[in-house]
Amino acid sequence: MHTKSKGLLYAAMTAGMIAGTPPVMADAGDPIRELTLISRAQAANPSQFQAAELIAQQWRQLGLDVAVRGMPRPQQSDAVWYNRDTWDLTMWQMVGRPERSDPDELIYNLFHSSTRDAGFNFVGYANEEYDRIVEQQRVTADLDERKALIDQLQDIVNEDQVYAFLVHPLQTYAFNSTVWNASTVVEQAGLGIKNFWTFSGIEPLGDQTDMILNSSDELNAINPFYISGATDSWVTELIWDRMMRIGPDGLAQPWAAESVSWTEDAQSVTMTMREGMMWHDGEPVTTEDVVFSFTAPLDYAPMYRPFVEDISNIEVIDERTVRFDLNEPNAAFETSTLAKINLAPKHVWEPLLANLGEGENAESIVEDERIGSGPFKFNRWAPQQEVVLDPNEDHWAAPEMDRFILRIVLNVEATLGMLRSGELNFLSDYTGDPALLFEAAEADGSIEVIESVDIGFQFLAFNHRRPPFNDATFRRALSAAINRDLIRNAAYNGFAVNANSAVSPALSFWHKDGITEELETGIDLAKSILENGGYVLEDGTLHYPMGQTEQFDN
Amino acid sequence: MVYVLKRFVHMIFVLWAVATILFFMFRTMPGSPLAAFLDTTTSAEQQEALIRQFGLNKTLGEQYWLFLTNLIQGDLGQSFFFRKPVTEVVMGVLPNSIILMLASLIIAYIFGIVAGAYLAWRRGSWVEGVGIPLVLTTRAAPEFWLGMVLLAFFSFQLGWFPSGGANTSGSDWESGWQRVTSLDYISHLALPAITLAIYLQGLPLLLMRSNMLNVLQEEFITMARMKGLSTSTIVMRHAARNALLPVATAFALGIGGAVGGNVVVETVFSWPGIGRLLVNAVAASDYPLAQGAFLMITGVLVIMNFIADVTYHLLDPRVRDATR
Repeated sequence: MHTKSKGLLYAAMTAGMIAGTPPVMADAGDPIRELTLISRAQAANPSQFQAAELIAQQWRQLGLDVAVRGMPRPQQSDAVWYNRDTWDLTMWQMVGRPERSDPDELIYNLFHSSTRDAGFNFVGYANEEYDRIVEQQRVTADLDERKALIDQLQDIVNEDQVYAFLVHPLQTYAFNSTVWNASTVVEQAGLGIKNFWTFSGIEPLGDQTDMILNSSDELNAINPFYISGATDSWVTELIWDRMMRIGPDGLAQPWAAESVSWTEDAQSVTMTMREGMMWHDGEPVTTEDVVFSFTAPLDYAPMYRPFVEDISNIEVIDERTVRFDLNEPNAAFETSTLAKINLAPKHVWEPLLANLGEGENAESIVEDERIGSGPFKFNRWAPQQEVVLDPNEDHWAAPEMDRFILRIVLNVEATLGMLRSGELNFLSDYTGDPALLFEAAEADGSIEVIESVDIGFQFLAFNHRRPPFNDATFRRALSAAINRDLIRNAAYNGFAVNANSAVSPALSFWHKDGITEELETGIDLAKSILENGGYVLEDGTLHYPMGQTEQFDN
Repeated sequence: MVYVLKRFVHMIFVLWAVATILFFMFRTMPGSPLAAFLDTTTSAEQQEALIRQFGLNKTLGEQYWLFLTNLIQGDLGQSFFFRKPVTEVVMGVLPNSIILMLASLIIAYIFGIVAGAYLAWRRGSWVEGVGIPLVLTTRAAPEFWLGMVLLAFFSFQLGWFPSGGANTSGSDWESGWQRVTSLDYISHLALPAITLAIYLQGLPLLLMRSNMLNVLQEEFITMARMKGLSTSTIVMRHAARNALLPVATAFALGIGGAVGGNVVVETVFSWPGIGRLLVNAVAASDYPLAQGAFLMITGVLVIMNFIADVTYHLLDPRVRDATR
């Protein structure tokens, strides 16, 4: 490789001398190899694939040779997740979930160096200053102080362009406003109208009292100790109560616990349970059940274990009061633990867990009856067809609807027709063109469409383990060359907002104002960043700075 | 008897070979079964726990041995994704697939046979000039497109049929039998079955027509005409009966293939079925479910073949003698 580039250089110099111009490129390193940009296949995720194509086009103007490779998800995660030093660039996305309403889950796990080898920091970012601040915000209980730290973290990620953030998509949802009272539909920050508060509080206007909503994903499990598919969580959070719930404003609020009070040092929290809580089988909810729900994950629920490991001790104070002591202060504890751990009945689960076979854990258990204490009771689950929940009339927040019927509808286009024909009356999962939904709503007259900015985001990940992506200057230049307005309008039909942070503007308290505008873009800017960084454009091909050799064959 | 035994040994061998190929095929595919469980909070420790739980920490040889010994005992293992026995997952959706496939096969074959016979009889007329291109066009139309057109027209425009699923949302049934024989189920079945039938009708129709054309040349037809029999009697009683045999064979083969379901139609109409299950299982690298479901399909096909061979052997002296 090296000799070859020397030869090229020599040839170029000779050519330059013959033409009578001075040779300017004597101080270049190796040419940069052909780069591969991985994306989901076009058929599976057309927006993402189109964004990748647009980015590749823009980068070619910098003198880079970029090939877009669409692949199915298993193959993509195999490359990115399990062969961490073999890929260059990949398109990726984070989706919005209630527990991501606290920025900690994303800013910690995505960028902390401890998750580089096997966790979600698959890009291999390592920055000691970042690690220090992200650990510090975790133990900072004061909201404003913590906010200042999280602003700093967003600045660092911007400065280093760890990812090239692209857009926060707008999620579109719709419902029939002749069936449901529009004023009882609740919009939750970053999650839209498909959320716990809507389902528990929505009021029917007429004879249609069943909510019929849709998901395009198969359910995987309905189990309080198993974090499975996204759709599964819509159902589990209705059946099982939690000590706290993420409110419509994105902050945790007391739920099964009627009061939550912290000690001064933020290392101990005392909670008093609501009076008269009952499991769906008629047994009372006791503090024993609370202790069980927060200790069982240690041994039996590997996916929930990280959220209870911080608890050093649980003390039952009286029949309605418990105290949790923490190993160290944890600012995200309410969101990531108290509003996340499902309260499960000890009398049902203890015998089940005692009879587990070898290699099994709580995730392996498939119950016939699902007993929780939440506002909805499990009725049935017909795989590939529907999940039916009944209202829990005895709950303090008993739902107004008669039944919650979640239909599995694979055909996105058909959901529009179903919404108009009444086969659906709440469109909770729509991945098609939002313009079509607005057209359908206009033609129909009784369909109301709500769009909201997602907590999640679309981004392009650089593999920091592989030059030239280990160089922040190079990443900044590449990110600057991306025309996000074009991507937003062409690939997302305008239904998105530009992004430059892992903390979505939907989380208005935590999002750093103006961070998106701080990212200056443009091809000329990108070129000058590269030039200042020592990169050299030679015969239309971008070269490393002098002395730097290409370390990969492809 | 020796013949039946010999065929039986063949069958076992084929099943073993297919099981082995499936076992290694899914494991050499790119993608890891863990990919379906990745989350922001996933740790190395959790991934190792999953590997142990799925038995993927054992060597390939050990896994294979375990798979075979369990298989002999009729245990296809646990689905990684659903955490339920594979047999239970597959049996949950198989009836819907079989009902859909059989319904569409029957519609397609009845229509194909009648229309094929008619087109053969009207050979050279304008009916044929219009009919044959029409048949070929519908046969070549992509199923998903056909499905969407039917949905848009009969469901969204006219509102005659529901547009997805196998039952009205939230409907309760006392038994599975009551459910599948209900008017509700049949109205949900109509559009997917018609879509598939339109797709399937080409084969029986063209087969029937060409057989008919051959049969109509035969002397006994000329004889029937000379006897002064009516046209319909000649076509239905004499010609069609003889032209039907190869079509019946194709039908039998079609039934065998029906066990695999149809992913496209199941997706367009959100019909619960084994095709969707297989696609999900392969995409999520759910090895036990994917290999188990394919093996069950193979099993049904092989057993059907076995039965067909043995019956032929018993019924037809020519086949019997040839094997001696």
